[in-house]
Amino acid sequence: MALILTTMRVCALTACVLGMLSMPWGCSGRQGARAPGGGEIVELTYWPAPNTQEIDLADSLVRGWNASHPLIHVRMQPIPVSQSSEEVLLAAIAGRTTPDVCSNIWPGALHDYTVSGGLIPLDSFSDFDSVSLSRMPKDLLESFRSGDGHYYQFPWKTNPVMMFYNLRLFREAGVTEVPRTYSEYFAAGAKVSRDTSGDGQIDVWMGERDVRPIWWQRLFDFYPFYIAASGGKTLFTNGNVDFDNAEARNVFAFFQECYSRNFFPKTYFVGGDPFDLEKKATHFAGPWEVAHLEKFVPSMRYGVAPLPVPDGHTGPVYTSGDYKNIAIFSTTTHPAESWEFVKYLVSAEHDLMLLEICNQIPVRGDLRSNRLFSDYFVRNPLMIHFADQAPFTRGMDSAPDLKEIFDAISQEYEGCAVYGRKSPAEAIHAAALRTKSIVEWNQ
Amino acid sequence: MSSPTNIFRRFKRSDRTAYVFVLPYLVYFATFVAYPLLFSLILMFHRWNIVTPMEWIGLKNFIRMFGDPLFFKSLVNTLVFLAIHIPLQIAVALAIALLLNARLRFRSFFRAVYFMPVVVSGVVVTILWQQMYLFDYGVFNSILTSIGLPRVPWLVDPSFAMPSIAIMATWKNVGIYIVLFLVGLQNIPGELYEAAELDGAASANQFLHITLPMLNPTVIAIVVLSTIGGFSLFIEPYVLTGGGPMQSTLSGMLYIYNQAFYFNHMGYAATLGITFALIVLSVVVIQRKLIEAEA
Amino acid sequence: MAARTLKYIALCVGLVVFGYPFIWMIVGSLKPEMEIGNLKLWSSLLSFNSYRAVFTKIPIARAFFNSMFVSLSVTTLVVVLGSMVGYALAKLRFVGKGVLYILILFTMMIPFQITLIPQYVLMVKLGWTDTYLSLIVPSMMTGLSIVLFRQFFTSVPEALLDAARIDGCSELYILFRLIWPLSRPVIITVAILTFMASWNDVLWPMIVVRDRSLMTMPQLVAIFVIGGEAETQLGSLLAAATLLALPIIIAYSFFQRYFIESMASSGIKG
Repeated sequence: MALILTTMRVCALTACVLGMLSMPWGCSGRQGARAPGGGEIVELTYWPAPNTQEIDLADSLVRGWNASHPLIHVRMQPIPVSQSSEEVLLAAIAGRTTPDVCSNIWPGALHDYTVSGGLIPLDSFSDFDSVSLSRMPKDLLESFRSGDGHYYQFPWKTNPVMMFYNLRLFREAGVTEVPRTYSEYFAAGAKVSRDTSGDGQIDVWMGERDVRPIWWQRLFDFYPFYIAASGGKTLFTNGNVDFDNAEARNVFAFFQECYSRNFFPKTYFVGGDPFDLEKKATHFAGPWEVAHLEKFVPSMRYGVAPLPVPDGHTGPVYTSGDYKNIAIFSTTTHPAESWEFVKYLVSAEHDLMLLEICNQIPVRGDLRSNRLFSDYFVRNPLMIHFADQAPFTRGMDSAPDLKEIFDAISQEYEGCAVYGRKSPAEAIHAAALRTKSIVEWNQ
Repeated sequence: MSSPTNIFRRFKRSDRTAYVFVLPYLVYFATFVAYPLLFSLILMFHRWNIVTPMEWIGLKNFIRMFGDPLFFKSLVNTLVFLAIHIPLQIAVALAIALLLNARLRFRSFFRAVYFMPVVVSGVVVTILWQQMYLFDYGVFNSILTSIGLPRVPWLVDPSFAMPSIAIMATWKNVGIYIVLFLVGLQNIPGELYEAAELDGAASANQFLHITLPMLNPTVIAIVVLSTIGGFSLFIEPYVLTGGGPMQSTLSGMLYIYNQAFYFNHMGYAATLGITFALIVLSVVVIQRKLIEAEA
Repeated sequence: MAARTLKYIALCVGLVVFGYPFIWMIVGSLKPEMEIGNLKLWSSLLSFNSYRAVFTKIPIARAFFNSMFVSLSVTTLVVVLGSMVGYALAKLRFVGKGVLYILILFTMMIPFQITLIPQYVLMVKLGWTDTYLSLIVPSMMTGLSIVLFRQFFTSVPEALLDAARIDGCSELYILFRLIWPLSRPVIITVAILTFMASWNDVLWPMIVVRDRSLMTMPQLVAIFVIGGEAETQLGSLLAAATLLALPIIIAYSFFQRYFIESMASSGIKG
């Protein structure tokens, strides 16, 4: 009998300990606190992207909000760093640990979030139309509408991928014109990529891409180059896989030549970004790179230009937009307050802060006409390139498993472009085949 | 076997405390072994990203697997790893064990240092070797160039990457096998050697006809353990190469991880997991049969 | 004599092969970035800058605490619960004993590839992801520990137990007060094996923990190497690796013999 009692006591104790362990760590227990005025304080959680500039921006925005909204307290917590934000968000939806508001929603993953009912439709708020239309033209807004006719994302910012070039490296190599086509790029590459220290190793490169087949890396080479080469096509047409074509092969052939002629290194760079270290002359990135360079390599002189296109290309040069949007999660217990906060985030003055702090382009039609922004562009002339490029951008197809589709492209990109073991035609065909099987498996 | 009354009698004779002692394990077993096993079988027939409801898709996961080049690639990669890792491991461990199997000064110090990589986290080992394998500034290539040899593209060439990982894994684990061989060597009765000495057998002969056969159980253990270890190869390629270049280091476990936690395909990953588990079990059984037949 | 000298030379080459990388790592973590690449183990500019960078970039102290807490909890549970089951199997009579033992041996043969995904799903369903529970509970019992305890306890003389039972001691008392003190070797073996396996595991934490403040040390360092902190520098990588290796290396240098014996006796790796 005594033994049973002892055992029960042990069990109860264990249960207590386990119970304590299972409590989430940290402090989320402010609900129900009383404001000085006597009203109930609403607490909202807001997840911005986990990079330094956006955390700075979020910090100032949240501080401003909390100062002016004593009854709606916002707690900012950057998305936990892992391999990618999408992974974290999906896991959070699964565990129902999503925040109220997140401003790092990638349209490519929106499908996965909405299928699971993780987001609330923003058009359920009566003033959604007036708020969004005051910021951007109707046709642009329309392109963010989901399949079921609702808007689950508020278009926030876009980062057109463009070509950064190092002026000093170009000058030292005798490159006087910024390359606009593939052959001009190769001609410049032949001059730039060389051994400057005389140890037999190339130490200055025309360009460099992470050689590891990480799916999102293709968002900075193959994908924007394909959009550019094809005059604005994306991977799917009317829901069907549609990139087993000459434009895609052309892009693979371009990168294959960059590697085979040693314009790009085939090794993985450790110890810092080679563009920061002034070891590569061109770099494909969005406008956030401007802030990054200002912070880490303030001495570098560089320019920005549209991506190189195949010889004989006509018309505007498109690129990918890398949109990041704002969404409200269905776990929120305060949708109205969350929407108020979203409207606060996307106001013109805070779009100016987005420009000032992060150098990222807000999705709005009046960037170059609104006088509020003109001073910024005078001080940051480089950003004009991005603002001008913004209308000629494409986002992501709304398809399931985009991540795995880009993984398929990455694997083939590596085999064809980096290692030259497959022809562009073979590689593109294999990527399209795997993409089709992924799409079929999902039906 | 035993009638109900028999069981009842045994129940009456048993120690009550035993049930209390065993109960936690039964709960544990039901929750963390039996339930996952059953659930795994169910998952095989579903498409599920863990967020949306499970969808019954019949045999689609199997159809996909048999048409999936990456599944076969990861299987071949694992076999390549084992084909290099196991012989290398046995050769190095045996050589060092033979060196150490004598009355030496600092014997335990040597053994302790050789054993060190075993206790240290695989992450540490991987970071170290990542730096040493670097193409331009890595230690290995610095040594090679300083003696006038060309650089080796350790982790950046599809044909070199998996062998490089196999070498690293050998360095990490060989300590255990040195110790196992030492135990094996010490279990060989000294009289066997004395008898051979009397017959005038050369030491090479002694090694071939006494030492090696007597170490057979140790070799079997090493082969089986390395095989199981090889099939769970994960953190090394995950950190070092991410499975590349050209999927040459995509291990089975890494592919399962990617499908489950990168692409959120729980059903497909479970299918892959069960397939790989069956493969490990059959490979181990075949190895045992082969080695025992040899002996 | 010459053979003996050759033997020592070979063994010393081995020392360099297995020991040098660790020394290089520690020295490299103190050297300035530019000098890390070379093979030399000395620099005039040694500093703790890389460590400072690691401590500011990632919550490594917190991760150390997490790892310690998790590994110690797991080890305690495995030793206590494992010895209870092992004792029951070795010394007590109960229905289903044979079946249970076979069941335990069977679980040891299940490749973890099968149960990994469903166990993760279970963690999600229980709401245990991003809690210590997910790191501790699924590994709180191991078949190996039960088998080792059972093996050891079988050799404890029955007479000793009978004497205690006649004195009216409970089985709990017998196990923890009488047998435990006699079982130091097996407890140490199980504790070291469990602690090492728990401390060095990366795959499972990687799956169930996404919140940086709950990450274990190897997990945090692995993510530091491959993850988003692209401003990562070589020196800080080596510093992070050193911090991760140091606790185990220190423990190992004190209890070296136990580590080696434990791991060899069970023939499994950490």
